[in-house]
Amino acid sequence: MEDWRRIDIDAFDPDSGRLVPEDLAPPNLKSVNAGEIESKISQLRSAATSGDFATALQLVTNEPPYSADEVTKSRYFEAVLSALTQVRQAEIANLVKQLSPAQTDVLIKYLYKGMSVPEGQKQGGILLSWFEKVTQNTGVAPVVRYLSDRRTV
Amino acid sequence: MSQSLRPYLTAVRYSLQAALNLTNFSSQVVERHNRPEVEVPNTSAELLLQPMHVSRNEHEQVLIEPSVNSVRVSIKVKQADEIEQILVHKFTRFLEQRAESFYVLRRVPIEGFSISFLITNKHTESMNTEKLVDFIIEFMEEVDKEISEMKLFLNARARFVAEAYLGEFVY
Amino acid sequence: MSDSVVRDFKLAKAPVYSHCFSQDRSILAVTLNTDCLVYRLVAHGKPQLIATLADHDKTVTSVDISIHGRIVTCSQDRNAIVWEPLSDGSYKPTLVLLRINRAATCVQWAPSGYKFAVGSSARIIAICYYEQENDWWVSKHIKKPIKSTINCLSWHPNGIMLACGGTDGYVRAFSGFVKGLDSKEQVANSPWADKFPFGALIREWYDGAWIHGIAWRGSQEKLAFVTHSGTFNVVDPSDEISSAEYPEGLPLTSVVWVNDHEAACGGYSCHPILFSEGARGWQFAKNIDKSVDTRAPVAASFNGEEEQDENPSFGISALRKFKDLDLKGKVSTQVKESTHENAITELAPFAENSGNVTEISSSGLDGKIVVYRV
Repeated sequence: MEDWRRIDIDAFDPDSGRLVPEDLAPPNLKSVNAGEIESKISQLRSAATSGDFATALQLVTNEPPYSADEVTKSRYFEAVLSALTQVRQAEIANLVKQLSPAQTDVLIKYLYKGMSVPEGQKQGGILLSWFEKVTQNTGVAPVVRYLSDRRTV
Repeated sequence: MSQSLRPYLTAVRYSLQAALNLTNFSSQVVERHNRPEVEVPNTSAELLLQPMHVSRNEHEQVLIEPSVNSVRVSIKVKQADEIEQILVHKFTRFLEQRAESFYVLRRVPIEGFSISFLITNKHTESMNTEKLVDFIIEFMEEVDKEISEMKLFLNARARFVAEAYLGEFVY
Repeated sequence: MSDSVVRDFKLAKAPVYSHCFSQDRSILAVTLNTDCLVYRLVAHGKPQLIATLADHDKTVTSVDISIHGRIVTCSQDRNAIVWEPLSDGSYKPTLVLLRINRAATCVQWAPSGYKFAVGSSARIIAICYYEQENDWWVSKHIKKPIKSTINCLSWHPNGIMLACGGTDGYVRAFSGFVKGLDSKEQVANSPWADKFPFGALIREWYDGAWIHGIAWRGSQEKLAFVTHSGTFNVVDPSDEISSAEYPEGLPLTSVVWVNDHEAACGGYSCHPILFSEGARGWQFAKNIDKSVDTRAPVAASFNGEEEQDENPSFGISALRKFKDLDLKGKVSTQVKESTHENAITELAPFAENSGNVTEISSSGLDGKIVVYRV
C-alpha cells in the first residue's frame, strides 16, 4: 500500500454515517420506462423540426426522466438541447412567460446541465439568453430551488 | 459591455446570489472542527448542493460549487492564443501569491480553471453579500480587459524591440 | 427603516446566531462568538449588559431561557451548560452530560421548563433533564433514523412531541417522553399517535432541501417548517403537506406562528415575511420592513459627467478621483434598506395578545436585535 495516509478510512466504516449521492434520491420518485422516453424524444424532435416550440417546451418541462440512468438521460438531453437552441432569440421571452413555476425549475436544470457539457457550451450564448429571460421573469427563486433539488436531469 | 457579455454576467450574478446563503456549520466528521465542506474530500453528500456551470463558450466558463458553509467559484478566463495563456498564467499566479490580502482568493485554482475563489460563512458574515458578488463580477470584467491590454502592450513592446534590433542592420 | 420596526439594537459587531427573551421580556440573552451575553431591557435606549456567560470555548450556537428563568446555552465545543440565576444577578453554571462527540447546534426548553432538547452534528438529539440524586443534568439520546446534522428543534406545547429538521432533508417528530417528568394525560387524545414511548419516531416528512426552521402550532395541531429552497410548509396529522413559495426566493431560516392562519418567516432576504392561509391554502402575504429597491448611482452615468468638468481645479479633480474610487466598488444597482443588514438567524414571538402574536423579535448576522410589529 503506497499512499496509506490518504486512504479514506471512513469509507470502510459502516457506522460513519456518511451519505453518498445515491442516498439523497427522493423516496417517492416516479420510475419511467425506456419506451416512454423514446417516444418523448421522437415527439420532441418532431415538434422542434416543425417549429412548434411552445409544444416542445411543454414536453421538455413536464415530467423529465429523473429516475432514468445516465445514458438515457444524456440521450434525452441531446433532444432537449437541440430543441432549445433552435428557438429564435426574439421568441424566448414569450415562451418563458407561459411556464408555471414548476416548469421553470425544470428548465433551469436543463440550462445548467447544458452549460456543463461541451455540446451545450458551444451554444453558450443561446442558453445564456434563455437563462436571462427566465431570471427577468422570476428573479433568483428558481436558481435557489435548483440548488437544493436532488432530482437531476 | 458587449451584447453577449451581459447575459453571462447576469447568470453568474444570479447563481452567486443563490449560492451565497451560508451557515456556520461544524464538521460532522472531526470533533471541534469547522472547515469549508466544499474543500473536504469525501464529505457527506447532503452537505453539497448542485454545482452550477455558467458558460459563455468553451473558453469562458464559471463553475460555482456551493456547500453548507462555503462556496467555491472557479473562473476560466478566455485564452485565445499562446501569449494570452502565458499572460493569464502570470497574472493569476501574481494574485494567488498574494492570496491572503484578497481574503476570498484560493491559492491554487481547481483543475481546468484559471483562478478559484473560496467564500466561506466567515466572509458572508463580515462582508456584504451583494458586494462580494459585485467583486467577483467586476473581477471577471476587469480580467479580460487587463489581459487584452497586456497583450497589446506586449505586442507594441515586441515591435519596438524588433525595430531597434533590426535597425542595426539597415544601412 | 419602516414603521413596522418597534425597537432596534445593535449589540455586537459579530453575528448573533440565536437570541431569547425571558418570559416577562425583561431579560435578553444573545450568543456572541464563544460567549452568551445577558442584557436587561430598559424602557428607552440600549439594553444594559448584566452578565457574560463565558464557559464555552467554541462558537455558541443556541440559547434558550426557560419559564423559570434558567438559561441554557449550547456550543460547537460539544457541551451544553445550564445557567441558574442567583439572587445577586449572577449565574451559576452546571455542565450537562450530553455524551455527544460533535457540535451541539440547537437547544430548546420544553414548555414545562424541566427538560430540554439539544440537537447536534453527531446525528443525535439529546433530551436532558435534572437528576436530583446526583445534582446534575443527564441526557437520553434519540438516534434513529437521523442521518445528518440537526438544524432546528421545536417542542409541541404538550411537552412530549419534539419536531426536528436538519440537513438530511427530513422533518421528523419524535416522542420526548421522560418517565417521572411527564404523564400520559399530556398527550391524551393526540391526533398524531396513540402511544408515545421515549424516542419513538411518530411521523416523518420528506422535503429534500435543508430544513432551517420549525415551529408547532399546538391549538391547530399543525407543524410549520421552512427550508433552504425558500419554501414555507405546513403539515397536519393527516400527513398533508401544504407549501408556499417565497417569491423573492432566498432561503428561509426561521419561522414563528403569528396566529392560527398566519406565520412569519425570516431568512437571507434580511427582513421578515408573512405567509397566510386563505381559501386557496397557504400563500405569501406580505413583506415586513422592506423598503422599495432604490437605484444607486451607476458608475456608467458618472463617467459622462467626469468628462465635462475635467480639471476645473486640481483639488476638486483629486476629490472626484477618490469619489470615483469609492464608487467603483458600488456598481450594484440594488441597495438594501431594511433594518437588518445581513441575514436573519432566528425569529421569536415578542408580544402576544390572547394567543395572537403582535410583535416578533429577530436576531441577525449583522449583530442586531430587532422587534417588529406584525
